[in-house]
Formats: sequence, C-alpha cells, structure tokens
Amino acid sequence: QCRLNVLITNFCSVSFFPQKNGISNGTLYKKTFIEHFEQAPMYVAVFTFVGFAVGTIFGYLRDFMRAWGLEKRNIAAEREQQKDFVPLYQDFENFYTRNLYLRIRDNWNRPICSVPGPQFDLMERVTDDYNWTFRFTGRTIRNVINMGSYNYLGFAETDVNALKTVTIELKKYGTGVCSTRQEMGTLDKHVELEKLVAKFLGVEDAMVFGMGFATNSMNIPALVGKGCLILSDELNHTSLVLGARLSGATIRIFKHNNMQSLEKLLRDAIIHGQPRTHRAWRKIIILVEGIYSMEGSIVRLPEIVSLKNKYKAYLYLDEAHSIGAVGATGRGVVEYFGMSPDDVDVLMGTFTKSFGAAGGYIAGKKGLVDFLRTHSHSAVYATSMCPAVAEQIIRAMKCLMGLDGTTQGLQRVRQLEKNTRYFRRKLHEMGFIIYGNDDSPVVPLLLYMPGKIGAFARRMLEKNIGVVVVGFPATPITESRARFCVSAAHTREMLDTVLNALDELGDFLHLKYSRYSKSSHPELYEESRLELED
Amino acid sequence: MAKNSWHRLLAATTELNITGIDRAAGPAGGRAAAEHGTGWGWERTRPGNPHGNSSPEHGGTRVQLLGLPSATRARMNVGTAHSEVNPNTRVMNSRGIWLSYVLGIGLLHVVLLSIPFFSVPVVWTLTNIIHNLSMYIFLHTVKGTPFETPDQGKARLLTHWEQMDYGVQFTASRKFLTIMPIVLYFLTSFYTKYDRIHFVINTISLMSVLIPKLPQLHGVRIFGINKY
Repeated sequence: QCRLNVLITNFCSVSFFPQKNGISNGTLYKKTFIEHFEQAPMYVAVFTFVGFAVGTIFGYLRDFMRAWGLEKRNIAAEREQQKDFVPLYQDFENFYTRNLYLRIRDNWNRPICSVPGPQFDLMERVTDDYNWTFRFTGRTIRNVINMGSYNYLGFAETDVNALKTVTIELKKYGTGVCSTRQEMGTLDKHVELEKLVAKFLGVEDAMVFGMGFATNSMNIPALVGKGCLILSDELNHTSLVLGARLSGATIRIFKHNNMQSLEKLLRDAIIHGQPRTHRAWRKIIILVEGIYSMEGSIVRLPEIVSLKNKYKAYLYLDEAHSIGAVGATGRGVVEYFGMSPDDVDVLMGTFTKSFGAAGGYIAGKKGLVDFLRTHSHSAVYATSMCPAVAEQIIRAMKCLMGLDGTTQGLQRVRQLEKNTRYFRRKLHEMGFIIYGNDDSPVVPLLLYMPGKIGAFARRMLEKNIGVVVVGFPATPITESRARFCVSAAHTREMLDTVLNALDELGDFLHLKYSRYSKSSHPELYEESRLELED
Repeated sequence: MAKNSWHRLLAATTELNITGIDRAAGPAGGRAAAEHGTGWGWERTRPGNPHGNSSPEHGGTRVQLLGLPSATRARMNVGTAHSEVNPNTRVMNSRGIWLSYVLGIGLLHVVLLSIPFFSVPVVWTLTNIIHNLSMYIFLHTVKGTPFETPDQGKARLLTHWEQMDYGVQFTASRKFLTIMPIVLYFLTSFYTKYDRIHFVINTISLMSVLIPKLPQLHGVRIFGINKY
C-alpha cells in the first residue's frame, strides 16, 4: 500500500536512467521525469476537517453575536428604511470571507514599496480591530526575502546600467502608444521584438501583445470556433479557460497531466464526432501549460506530441511560467525535453514572469502568425505594447541569448537551475511534502490545516521572509499550501536563511509530514551527488 | 471570425441567446441530463460540467469580463489550484471526510455518555436525534455557498445535498450519507431494547432525514418553506 505517488516515467521499460551508449531508441524521455504528489497521513486530513468545523462553529457564534448586538458590527449594514426590502445580497455568501478569510487577511495584499527583486521593502501595516481595518505605521520593513514573486531569472532589477537602453527608449517614445496594432500602434520596436522572439524560440514568426492574460483570452477565440473541440487540462489557468469559453467551441477536460485520460478523450472524439450530428470535428486542439503554477508540475510534452501526431490534433502550449525558467538555455519546456519547436503548433508565453516586463507572445509558423495579425481581437481592439516595456524584453532576451556579448544570461539560467535543485532537495530532506517536478522553480509546500496558513505566513514575515499562502476554496479543502518561487537572483545565503527558517517553523508547526525524507537533520550543507539513492 | 466571436461575447454578457442554439439544445440537454442523472432542481443547467462548459448545445456562455478588481478576480477562479466552479460540490468526496464524520459521531456519543443523568438508551436516542437534526440543518436547510463562486450564483437556492456532485444522484458520498443514519438507527433500536416511545421518536427522526434525500425531492420545497 504505497501511498507515495512518485511518477518516474521512461518509456524504456528496464532502465531507470536513459541509456548511456549510443542513441536511446524507443525512449520518449531523454532524462528521468520525476514528479511528487505525496499524500499526507490520514490523521492530517481528519485534523484539517476538525479545523474547518471549529472555524465554522465559531463563525456561526460570532454571526449570532453580531446579529443580536452582543458584538460590534464592523461591516456595512442596511439603512433602517431598507430593512423591510428583500435583501440584495445573501449574507451566507460572505460567511467564509467574514469568519475565516478576514482573520488571516493580513497575509495577503501586502503593499511593497520597492522593486520585487530577491528582496523587497514592505510597508508596515498594523490592525487595531483584528483585520477589519489596517493602518500604516509609516515604517518600512527592509530587505524582506522575496519567495513569492515570479522573478525566475532575476530581471526585476533597478540597476541603472542594465536599464540604460530602456531609459533611452522611454525618452524617445514616451510611455503610451495610444493605438491598436492594426491602426497606428505597430512601432519598429514591435517588429524588432517579434523578430527577436522568433529567433529566440527557433520558429518562423511571432506576435506580441500588451497583456499576458489577454494573449490567451483574445487569441484562442480567433483560432477555434463553433464545431471545434478543445481538450483542456484540469488545472489550466483562467485565461485559457476564458479564451476557450469565449471561442464557442466544445470543451472537454482531461485529468491533470494524465495521458490515458487525454488519449481516451481523443479516441472518443474521433470515433463519435460531434455530439448530435456525428460529423467530424473541424479541429481538435489540446490546451496545456508548460509549468502549472499551483502544482509545480511540468507537462508531459513528449507523450502529448506523440498523441497529437497519432490522432492529428493541434497543440497549444502556454509557457507562461516555463519560458526562461526551464531548459538548458532557458528556451522553455520544448528545449527541456529536447524536442523541436516544430512539434508544437502554437507556442504561447508571457513576458511577465522571467523577463521582468509585461505582455505575451504567440509564436509558430508564419501562416499562423499572419492569420493572428489580421484576426486576433487584440490586434483589432487592444492597445499594443508600450515601447519601453518592449525594450526591456529585448534587452532581457538579448542577455539570455548572449547577444549582448556577455554570458550573463546563461549564468542566470544555470543559477536558477542550481537554486531550484538545491531548494527542492533540502526541503525533501527536511521532511516537508512538496508537490511537483524536481526541476520546476515553483515549489508548493503543503500546509493542510487552516490554522497553519495564517501562522505560517505571519511567522515567516517575522523572520523577514515574504511567502504566498493559499487555502480553500482556491485549493481543494485538504490541500492548503504555501508556494515558493525560486529565483536566479537568490543567493545561496538567502536560500539558506529561508531553509533554516523553514526548518524551525516546520518543527514548531509540525509540517514535516513526509514519510520518505532521506534525513531529518541536514547538518551538512555540501552538495552531495544528485543521483537517486536506493 | 473576429466579428463572430465578438458578437458572441456581447450576446453572452448580456445573457441574450439570440441564435436558435438554445432551442435546439433542449432535447440534447434532456438526453444528456438523463445520462448523467437528474440535474439541478431550479436552474436547468447541465450537470457534470465543472468547467462551465460552453458546448454548442449548452447555448449561451457564461462569461465574466476582464475588469479586474480583486472581487472580480476572486469570481474568475484566478489563482486557484483547481478548475472547479463550485468547490462545495467536492467537499464530501475529499480524502478523510468520511472518517472525520464517523469520528464526529463517536465523539458526540462519548460526550453524551459522560453525562451522569442519562441512561444508555436515552443517550443513544439523543445521539440519533442530535445527529439527524444537525444533518437536516447542514445538508437540507442551509442553502448556497459560504464563498462567492464564479458561476454567478447558480447554487444560491440549493441546499448542500442538492449541490453535491453537481446534482448527480447515487454517487458514493450520497450513498454513504444515506446509509449512516440508517446504521445509527439500527444501533439505537438495539440499545433502546425496542422500547415503544424511543421507537416512535427515532423513527420520526430518521424519516425527517431520509425523505429529503430522495431523488424525487431534489429541489422540491414543500409549502414554499425554505424557498428563498
């Protein structure tokens, strides 16, 4: 009864590692693919429900006391004249917000007042009435270690030398474009950027958009419509879901990263066709992400590509979190798996995470991109990207590709890889339950119980570390988590500080539920061999 | 193509189903509903579609615009670790909840047993009554969700029992929650030695908690009680 879900996939049935001599024929994966989704012991789930039950009972008690005047009401109330009308809002719909979220509300929406680099400054906030209102004391908490920003390559920086070209372009073009791409909003900067993106990814052409979310939600409707079928992963981001729903195509969902589920859906779609008429689908498109930001898992790209080739479907890959963050030179999951960009039909990504800018791109064959230039909603109705932001992306990408004459880009990618491996390995050794792939810089650490969410975030802030925590209803009820985003800008000392703090906090809050930890006292901080131990 | 999708966006946000798709969706919707079991009681929405499916037979899509203050973001499932539109539907299937439920009943029973005034039959009857009363309140009286959902309140008038698994009947959790009061009733009847008064009280209590679970009573509000 092994409760550990360690998925080690390699299509060669015998060996654990890829074959060392010659060509590995018959293997889809060129290196081992290890993902963890360990389940905590059953008592943890029981205590989680006890926590929610106690919270609910106290919530009802406090609501009762507030309704009968035994406790001060801090929330907006109806006027006397409105009391006899049917209420506009159901107060039960705010039950969770009032009684559970509000109590730990000080852990979200914290205003920062510096660049979100590896460290940032926080405006100090206190509350006099248990999080109903906040008040700024005027002080700043300096140099809080940032474990929440999507700053994978560390390009969120204010170094004047690095931003020199950006300042020049800002002075030359100003801040606003004030037009859409199809009217007067296509600048030479956009053309330069698009050529660079295409060169970076190794595709024929690319198009950039001003907003990352809008790249998905405005372009999927242009690519598919009624009579088409979208097969979308369970955990896809809202932008993909919204784009899929706006398009009017039929949506079917397959289980997260589960290739059997996807294959079954593909076979059913091709065999049975459209629901009532049984005509063939006009197009079948598979929507997946490179790295899923809440689980830290990486898509099984080789299998999906072989499925798509077998069943003649199209593939749309959203590399929002994976472009720049995985791959030997930072070119995303396509490079990570050693595949060619021609295997993926539509490569989409955003510049917000690894490039420290804003906006998104879609890349692929020239015919596809030309089609999008005419038919995309963004091109017709949305303002194009600001030229200073475009310049930031250009300089970041040039740095990454080595075109600025230094090896800084490659160093950043290597540093991120090292940091990711180190951080994940140490957390595993300490005995925490971590989700996701061993190579993904997104590290969700499971907290499980609702009380621990608030305690964890507050104590980490006391130790000067800023983390992102998330609980029910944004996660399944038993799987509240803290999500760390490792950055190339984090130094070894910063990571050690965070790891020490986590070690202490893990013992204090009893978070070390893993039953497969290698050693519970990592006294030595040296790099041991990274092979799998038996 | 861009114009068509824009038109659909406009239609969807104003909830006008201008095209004939909605009417054509009727028979297909009905047939599909029969496959999945009965759907929602009040709203005729498709069961088993947590993704907020916009299949052609579903007709208009439910869409929220991209104005992004935080309340809207919460409603759009941004930053969630699942694509479930209403997480309440999956709570009873979570890992460990059945065990917690049984342990909860055990705890209640032990607490009642420790009160010195009550004899064992009285304690069992009290356990049965309190359990059935709590079940009736939490599963069949309280309506809606304690948090805002992105589906614009489809479940606001539905009790938790009706929301479970999006209205699909005879799922594992529903069977479990139906069997538990019956098992408790058997134990109570045994420990009260089938005394007449205890029998009457326990049977009425059991009926009050079994009848609302019948599929025929899905979405039914007798005499308009608890309708809004």
